[in-house]
Amino acid sequence: MKSLEQTAQEIQALALELGADEVAVSVSQSVSTELTQREGQLEKTQQSNSLGVGLELLVDGKFSGHSASDVRLEALRPFLTRAIDATRFLEPDPHRVLPPLESMGFANANLEANDPSWISQTPEQRRSLLNELEQAGKEASSHLDVRSMTHHVWDAKVDSHVTASNGYSAGWSRTSFGMGGEITLVDGERLPEAYDYRSARHLSDLPTVNDINTELVKRGESRIGSSGITSAKMPVLLRNFAARKLIGTLLSPLGGTSIYEKRSCMLDKIGKQIAASNLTISDNPHLPRALGSSPYTGDGFATTARNIVENGILQLHMLNLYNARRLGRAPTMGSTSNVCIAPSEKSPVDLIRDLPQCIVIEGFLGGNANPITGDFSYGITGRYFEHGEFVQGISEMNISGNIIELFHSFQNTANDVWTFSSYQTPSMLFDNVQCSGV
Amino acid sequence: MSLPKPTGPTGSYFENMGITPELCRSILQTALSHGGDDCELYFQHSASNSIQLTDGKVSQASTSLDLGMGVRVIQGDQVGYSYSEDLTPGALLNAAQIASQIANAGQSLTVPSPTVHTVPNYHPVETGWDSVDMQTRVHLLRKWEQQAFAQDTRVKRVDVFLRDGASVVMIVRADGKMVEDWRPSSMAFVQCTVEANGVRESGSYNVAARGGLEYFSEERQARLVSEAVNRAIFQLDAVSPPAGEYPVVLAAGPSAILLHEAIGHGLEADFNRKNISIFSSKMNQQIANEHVTIVDDATIEGSRGALNIDDEGNETERTVLVENGVLRSYLHDSISAKHFGVTPTGSGRRQSFRHTPIPRMRATIMENGPHTHDEIVASVKKGIYCAAFSNGQVNIGGGDFAFYVKQGYLIEDGKLTRPIKDVNVIGNGPDSLSKMDMIGNDMRVDEGGWTCGKDGQGVPVSQGMPTVRVSSLTVGGMG
Repeated sequence: MKSLEQTAQEIQALALELGADEVAVSVSQSVSTELTQREGQLEKTQQSNSLGVGLELLVDGKFSGHSASDVRLEALRPFLTRAIDATRFLEPDPHRVLPPLESMGFANANLEANDPSWISQTPEQRRSLLNELEQAGKEASSHLDVRSMTHHVWDAKVDSHVTASNGYSAGWSRTSFGMGGEITLVDGERLPEAYDYRSARHLSDLPTVNDINTELVKRGESRIGSSGITSAKMPVLLRNFAARKLIGTLLSPLGGTSIYEKRSCMLDKIGKQIAASNLTISDNPHLPRALGSSPYTGDGFATTARNIVENGILQLHMLNLYNARRLGRAPTMGSTSNVCIAPSEKSPVDLIRDLPQCIVIEGFLGGNANPITGDFSYGITGRYFEHGEFVQGISEMNISGNIIELFHSFQNTANDVWTFSSYQTPSMLFDNVQCSGV
Repeated sequence: MSLPKPTGPTGSYFENMGITPELCRSILQTALSHGGDDCELYFQHSASNSIQLTDGKVSQASTSLDLGMGVRVIQGDQVGYSYSEDLTPGALLNAAQIASQIANAGQSLTVPSPTVHTVPNYHPVETGWDSVDMQTRVHLLRKWEQQAFAQDTRVKRVDVFLRDGASVVMIVRADGKMVEDWRPSSMAFVQCTVEANGVRESGSYNVAARGGLEYFSEERQARLVSEAVNRAIFQLDAVSPPAGEYPVVLAAGPSAILLHEAIGHGLEADFNRKNISIFSSKMNQQIANEHVTIVDDATIEGSRGALNIDDEGNETERTVLVENGVLRSYLHDSISAKHFGVTPTGSGRRQSFRHTPIPRMRATIMENGPHTHDEIVASVKKGIYCAAFSNGQVNIGGGDFAFYVKQGYLIEDGKLTRPIKDVNVIGNGPDSLSKMDMIGNDMRVDEGGWTCGKDGQGVPVSQGMPTVRVSSLTVGGMG
């Protein structure tokens, strides 16, 4: 069987033979298994082995991108012939180039992205884990009126390789494991649901089946009797597992395309305060075992750790090579890898203990943000506390505001960094957030 | 490249790739070798093209090509699934072997030789994209760009995107039924950035259908551009509405995102089979005002949600979900239909051969009621009028749903007054249905390119409704 590198090299050679001037090829192969169980019965098993190719072509200074799931050269030949012909009808874009080979690279960091035990996972082990997970779920929820509980386990291995006609060649592989579940409870006429899914590069980094079900049941319980409260501005604690939505809203307008197209509230904000001065948001692509780690960027540059926001001050726009060239600036990073925020020593409970009122956000429902103005409006679910005491579950409420103003009102982090996502952030406390309910 | 509509007899498209009826039978037989009640093979060949105009240049294009087969074995409510992107017999039989593992009895079904069934055509196409050259596409993009700049001097930037695609699918079932379908798609998107008095905003509009070049009539092209410009200009003056609970008037057409989120998902029968939808116990009960009739219709000609045959090979239809306020049917795939002892509604859909089919909406429509648009607006003392939307979401069991309003107006003393924008509106499905107290007579199927997401799968859908008043929803404004 051919290696991915060989496959990529052959496809590259074919594209050059058919008339492309420059080519970048990325080949990716994944093997994945997913099992779902409900009410003691295996509900679904899915196994797949997938291979795909992505190509970027430069023909007479004109650019096009292509993807195909059939990587056989005899299938790609007519496909690429037509793709190259069609590319000639486009207009040239001088900013589309391959980077000089000497600027490209591969980070020399031990990402520990591969769990060696993946290869020896047997169907029996997966079934056994799923059974344990379900059993623990039954025990954790035995005091509740449960309508349904569904549990999942999954794992995958992805190998990828990129080559470019300037001689660049790099590849890497990573494993992932996951488990989680959904619970539906009976609450009169309503059947409130909650979920909890966790992923990790190494099987041993997943939480125990008891931990995950305890959290799942806790989230479900908080939905019982939930409703909106009177509209008001108040402190909000954003839980670690839900933090991605609001941090992503802050980071999204930093994307190179938004900056170039001037559809961003961050255009002239580099060097300026966009968040409270006690907040630093960094991007670390080299965190061992972390889900967002990677050795090279989409442009083929070695990845580098950077601060995006340092002491509240914006440090960079996220520019890949193309957007950087369009803007006449130096490339930084095309996208985030692991978004990291340092924890404090305080627990989430400590953070809200003295607050007369506080909503703890545990999930979002719909909503969106305007990247030009930074204005956002999101539906929220969670819990309402007074002086650290639980009062009621929250549903049918929105939070609204401007994302820069929101991050100016950031108070503190908790000590609970979430490691099951590429947003490795703790719970975060904000003050004076517009919450609208009844 | 675009895939033209196959002209040969049913089955010949994939037979040309070596997929003979005998091979299909053999794959099915292998998939059922450990038992199972049912099984189907789903072959799919898809191609799509997109080109983009940005900075005044048509300098970006992309194509994608996808080919593969998914095999599903069903035993009771259990599903074993695998797929292969390699259509050689060995790879296909291997996928069948993997899917077969779900079952645990000996082989019980004997698979007959495939028998061809023809499918209706709810999306006739005059000029398929395979016959449209690159120059014609480039010309369309340039024309739309020029029209946008010409419409208003405040337009500073125009981005235009055109995408076409087509899939050929073939489904072969364990009962021998074999169908083939060709599914074209067209989508255009115009985005304008405007500037006035140092304030920048942007707005966009898109249209999508199962159609060919003829879908872009002069009238539709003009609307595509003018709506994008108007929406951007609108944003310049619009403000965030006040926060709290208000009566909400939903404009005819795109407001059906509320139907989709608040009701449609809750009526997908997989949730009801598991008893986890808030509508699970409400069959044949009055759940809405007597003027509310809601259908999910796969047969609306040319609509993005039109479907000749579903992804399990079941006939599609116009399914009446709510009739004069009474819940009449769920949306069924084969598994849920068997569970409830009813005929499938042709709602089993999947994103691609990599996914298992599940009950999904197609085109979800609320039919006309007795009121005029003006009567409905005039009836509201203080409220919100919602005209354009970007996205929505629902919690199936709790019934809470949300939709994001890009564009709307305050209603004050029965008149549309200040323009409002960027606000999330939340409600509860059954509660909102019961609060729909005025139904308009101006039903319109929205022409936007809606894609519905569920279980990680996206499928194209349509939606439509008349103007509707909901007596109270939670508006996520400021102050």
